[in-house]
Amino acid sequence: MKNANRLLILIFIVVASAGVFSCKSQKKIAAEQAAAAESRKIAKAKADLEELLSDNSGLSLDEKESRLKVIKDMNIEDTEVKDLIVKVDEKLKREREALMAKERAAKLAKEREDQLRNENTEQKSLDDYFKLIANSSNLGTSNRYIGEALQLFASDEVPVLIIISKSGNIVDYDRPTTIKKYLEYLKDQKVDRNKIDNVVYDANGKITELELIKK
Amino acid sequence: MNKSTIFLSLILIFTAVITVVAQPEISPERKLAIDSLALEKVKDLGKYISIIGNKDTPFSEANRVIDRALELFSDGSQMGVSSLNNKDIQYFGIREYFQRLMALNYDRVKIEWFNIEYISDLVRQPDGRYVGVITIYQRFTGESDDGMKYVDTTKKDITVYVERKQTQIQGRVIGFWDVLLGDIRVTETKPG
Repeated sequence: MKNANRLLILIFIVVASAGVFSCKSQKKIAAEQAAAAESRKIAKAKADLEELLSDNSGLSLDEKESRLKVIKDMNIEDTEVKDLIVKVDEKLKREREALMAKERAAKLAKEREDQLRNENTEQKSLDDYFKLIANSSNLGTSNRYIGEALQLFASDEVPVLIIISKSGNIVDYDRPTTIKKYLEYLKDQKVDRNKIDNVVYDANGKITELELIKK
Repeated sequence: MNKSTIFLSLILIFTAVITVVAQPEISPERKLAIDSLALEKVKDLGKYISIIGNKDTPFSEANRVIDRALELFSDGSQMGVSSLNNKDIQYFGIREYFQRLMALNYDRVKIEWFNIEYISDLVRQPDGRYVGVITIYQRFTGESDDGMKYVDTTKKDITVYVERKQTQIQGRVIGFWDVLLGDIRVTETKPG
């Protein structure tokens, strides 16, 4: 009977030892697998970062930035990966700045183009002509604008009244002038001191009276 | 002097006094607007003189600008002209002054006006006109291709008259302030 008990105990020890050894072995395998996975992750991250550093990725800047973010979020503790992240980060920043500068230049070019198109094709307002004439430094250009502006009027002699002050019902004017003289005044003095207060048109849509007021 | 002459004279004096008293004083805001207007006319003249004197201004343009500038002056006004080389100040009619300015014997002429301000405010006179004096400093630079250069700065006093007038524009009566410049007197000339 004693021998039988001893045998049972021995069997139990053998089985238990086998279990312990088996468990240790599984942990080791798991650790090895994790290490292998980490190693693959690092290798993949390096490969991706190197591709981002090269100009052969074929990705847009947004896609590159997105991929870099994914890699950064992995928080990989590897010196080489960290160095590569810094390099890629700097490269993508430079690319972003260059892209923004290009976009700004394109926007400016479009604005200039629109402005030129407006000057050449669109109908300018009287106020536009006042500004253009006062700001023009070229005599020929000023005279061309004066000629164009006069087309808006029934004649060169259309009266121009300039209000210098309004006090209740009392309106004070400067000495009345004509539109031709007023446009030439803008050309000579190079300053547009008045704004349009009232315009009277005839049946043909031409201006027959103009009232300005000091700005 | 008989009685009727004395009576007539008294009536005339009384009428004149009534006329002056009847013209109401204008509000400070309106007066300020008139002050600014007169100052603006003087600045305009400075620009016109600069254009007329500039050798780059085409002849036809200079003549047109002379006509515009003349519109700023009351009839018979004179312009004082001084030089560092001559103690005397010469006075010319405004048109003659502009024509002489155009014909100055330099290859390049630059005229600038600065420090333009009232030295005597516009004050209402018994006849209803406002009279004041505006002072300006004019820097004249004349250069020739042979290297000769003349520079002076002249202080000038400009008498300014402002008068209330009326005109009809397309059937509408418009009351306006007519600013007219009078004599321009030289008060100081110095080099540079």
